[in-house]
Amino acid sequence: MIAELVMATIFGLLLLGIHRKVIARIQRRPGPPVWQEILHMLKFSFKSTWIPATASTVLFRGVVLVAIGIWTAAFFVMLTGGSLLVIFGIYMLHKIVEHGFGLSSGSPYGKFGGVRSVISAASEIPLFVSVAAIAIFTRSFDISDIVAYQQVHGPLMFIAFPAAVAMYIVMLSKMPFGPFSIVESKELVSGYKTEHFGVWRAGLEVCNGLKTTVLLATFLMIFFGQLPLLWMIAGMLLLVVSLSFACALTPMLSPFDSVTIQTLVTGLMLCYGAVLIAGVMA
Amino acid sequence: MAGASAGIAAGIMSMLGILPPWLYAAVLVLSFPVFIIGLFLWWMAEEGTEDIPFIGY
Repeated sequence: MIAELVMATIFGLLLLGIHRKVIARIQRRPGPPVWQEILHMLKFSFKSTWIPATASTVLFRGVVLVAIGIWTAAFFVMLTGGSLLVIFGIYMLHKIVEHGFGLSSGSPYGKFGGVRSVISAASEIPLFVSVAAIAIFTRSFDISDIVAYQQVHGPLMFIAFPAAVAMYIVMLSKMPFGPFSIVESKELVSGYKTEHFGVWRAGLEVCNGLKTTVLLATFLMIFFGQLPLLWMIAGMLLLVVSLSFACALTPMLSPFDSVTIQTLVTGLMLCYGAVLIAGVMA
Repeated sequence: MAGASAGIAAGIMSMLGILPPWLYAAVLVLSFPVFIIGLFLWWMAEEGTEDIPFIGY
């Protein structure tokens, strides 16, 4: 499983590199090479490292281990067809981890980034509604059951299209340089990760790679079912390119606008959920 | 290396049926971050002296 975890991390970083490249090409810049994020992670891992004098040493180091640990758990749950609730619990936990990153360093940029990550937890609410909508159809939260349901009834992408749209928006909120990326806004330097550098930043990059793979693969498994490996890779590439277009063509929203839009999406999803429940009751 | 060893050993024990899946998952979640950070700390350049970051005006 360690080999799979390493491969998933490298593949996730490659997808993030493709994301940057596509955004750059849309904006008529050459952009970095697609393997830039992998080099970025390696570069940080070789660098001289120390912890700022203002940092909480235990939290500063521990939060990196927690960040990698929770996405390792998510990857394991995804591969074994475990409960979707665990994966989405980890999405929420990641917000707390980002908050911990921001607060641990003692830098105001990090603190603002950490606070914004808590504000942007609003982006997770449509996710829970979309999970509930899926469960109405499949009668289960287990990924293995959701995949089995799709083998009989066809992809949930067509059956529960609004839920797929809501989850796509959640994915958009997780991608860097997107309209909802308020935690990494340039006025905060690098946001919650401003003071994490060297080995600790490399650890964070590992977490980001793993997170990207889990995020995209889970979406495909939930809405398209179990695909062959090559189709899975092609699907993840297509998803990344579409997300890159969305990120390149939309401005970064202010924190309050970001939360407002996510809340509106939640409202729409709640209406959709109510219609589904009314259909089940009737 | 202890992290990698623990993860690999747990994987083998899980495949042989000695270790239940939940315990394998727990070992993996604990050992993979230790393996990654341990590896990076092992090959990184020497540690520098701590610094005070910008803490506001």
